[in-house]
Amino acid sequence: MWEILIKSFVLAGGLMTAAAYLVLLERKMAAWVQDRCGPNRVGIPLTNIRLFGLGQPIADGLKFILKEEFTPAHVDRRLFVAAPIIMLTSALSVFAVIPFGDVIPPLKLWGWGWDRPIPLAIAPHMDTALLFVFALNSIAVYGVILGGWASNNKYSLLGGLRSSAQLIAYELALSLGILGVVLASGSLNIRRIVEMQAETGVWFVLAQPIGFVVFVTAAFAEAARLPFDLPECEQELVGGYHTEYSGMKLLLFLIAEFLHMVTAAMLIVLLFLGGWHFWGITSWADSNSWLGAILRVVVFAVKTVGVILFFMLVRWSWPRFRFDQLMALAWKVMLPLGLLSVAVVAVVEQSKLSGLESWLGRVPAAWLMVIPAWVVAALAWWVVAVAGPSISDNTPRREPAGWDVQF
Amino acid sequence: MQENDPNIRWVDESPLSARERLYLPLFFEGLTTTLRHLGRSLAGKVVTVSYPDQEPKIDAPLIYRGVHRLNRDEQGRVKCVACFLCATACPAHCIDIVAAESPWPDREKYPESFTIDELRCIYCGMCEEACPVDAIELTSLYNLTGRSREEMIFDKEKLLSVYDQTKDKEPMRSQRQSTGSYAAEHNRK
Repeated sequence: MWEILIKSFVLAGGLMTAAAYLVLLERKMAAWVQDRCGPNRVGIPLTNIRLFGLGQPIADGLKFILKEEFTPAHVDRRLFVAAPIIMLTSALSVFAVIPFGDVIPPLKLWGWGWDRPIPLAIAPHMDTALLFVFALNSIAVYGVILGGWASNNKYSLLGGLRSSAQLIAYELALSLGILGVVLASGSLNIRRIVEMQAETGVWFVLAQPIGFVVFVTAAFAEAARLPFDLPECEQELVGGYHTEYSGMKLLLFLIAEFLHMVTAAMLIVLLFLGGWHFWGITSWADSNSWLGAILRVVVFAVKTVGVILFFMLVRWSWPRFRFDQLMALAWKVMLPLGLLSVAVVAVVEQSKLSGLESWLGRVPAAWLMVIPAWVVAALAWWVVAVAGPSISDNTPRREPAGWDVQF
Repeated sequence: MQENDPNIRWVDESPLSARERLYLPLFFEGLTTTLRHLGRSLAGKVVTVSYPDQEPKIDAPLIYRGVHRLNRDEQGRVKCVACFLCATACPAHCIDIVAAESPWPDREKYPESFTIDELRCIYCGMCEEACPVDAIELTSLYNLTGRSREEMIFDKEKLLSVYDQTKDKEPMRSQRQSTGSYAAEHNRK
């Protein structure tokens, strides 16, 4: 009981702080990529100490709290208030099942402590963890759609509609990307999935490259990050679904968005990049020492921050997709690739079970099967490269001369 | 609209090359560009100037359009001959001249008062171009501040004192060999 309460408080507080500092990091990255300094004036309040702008999140938070929280007269008031709450609640609840390390070993100090290892997740033994994550992620879509609908504003509504179409399309790709992981590890429990990767040392990014590409692409779309940020693209829709929001309600939306990014990064790390495992640093064996436990948390944190930095770099590296291109990519490229990935994983796993593992041993078999996975991935990529432009081409079709159609 | 209408000229996008179709090369190209800029910024090479802490470097102070000055001749008298060309050229109507008969034999008129409303001025430099005797010029002083509107209306004395302040760093047009800038060189030819 106490254990869960303490973990919840630590996680909720940590995530809120992390979201605030991620905003700062995002702004800093944006500035650096554009040869600017970024926010660097705000340090410790009431002093002249600047601390490279590390006080900026406090100033940002204060600004949001002190600003007028304006509710336009024409909105559906109940849904308008409910939307940001739904969004933040679902974004935060996801972290109940996401582990941020492995376990803390038992500790006894002067009669105080615990006598069994404590898993570093609020609900560590949940066997349907992945289903829970995706169920809650889908609820977050309600927040976006309700926000867009309740605002009674065409920009908001367009943002909400785009968002619903986009998230439904990419939910499929996301699930197919995960299906391969679930198939290979035989469990929906996230801890078990990480353990599978740690046991053999073959991260699922190596074993299932297509699944990884599909999942990462879909994760970008789910988090509405820049190549796919159509629900709220400032250039076209003012602010998208949160155009009419201000003050704390807007803050809730923004925090929820950053939390989605953190969720996506953590899931990428847990499902495909080995979680807390790193060859030579944290292995399967050192599970019951303090050093091992801390190293696992550090490895996991470093990987997560790395993925988040990648998310932020991507924002400035590539232009945004047009909406029809986004849909074409989801339905015509990502869906077939996801299905292919599942098929390949099924064949690989079956071949392991029917003799390869007993002949070579578990670990060499896993490493050996990386080769066919990458061969298939290269072939699939080539097919997409050849067929991709023609299937995603939406320019008006001209019929050859003599084909007379009256409109 | 008929699609085979002869009045419609269809323009095709050029087909994607193999490199573009594979997408990965472009993926890494985009990433390396951002990473290169990121590295450059982290090494301290940013374009931002932290203004109050750090003075901006003005690349061509001789053609910069900042605060005005009224030039003096060799005897320390105001060069202006009160011809009103600058006031006429001024699109913001910020120059106000009161002419009087010149006490000196070399010209007919001189400005009894010469005021510029620095708040109305749009710093276009037309007065400088219009002046036939190189009397009014724009300097490279950019941080012009004041506590009241009255303070920002510069009279003759103030404008002459701006000349005294800047004459060493920025010689008068007629006394310059070269402004060191392409634009000025080009204009001289």
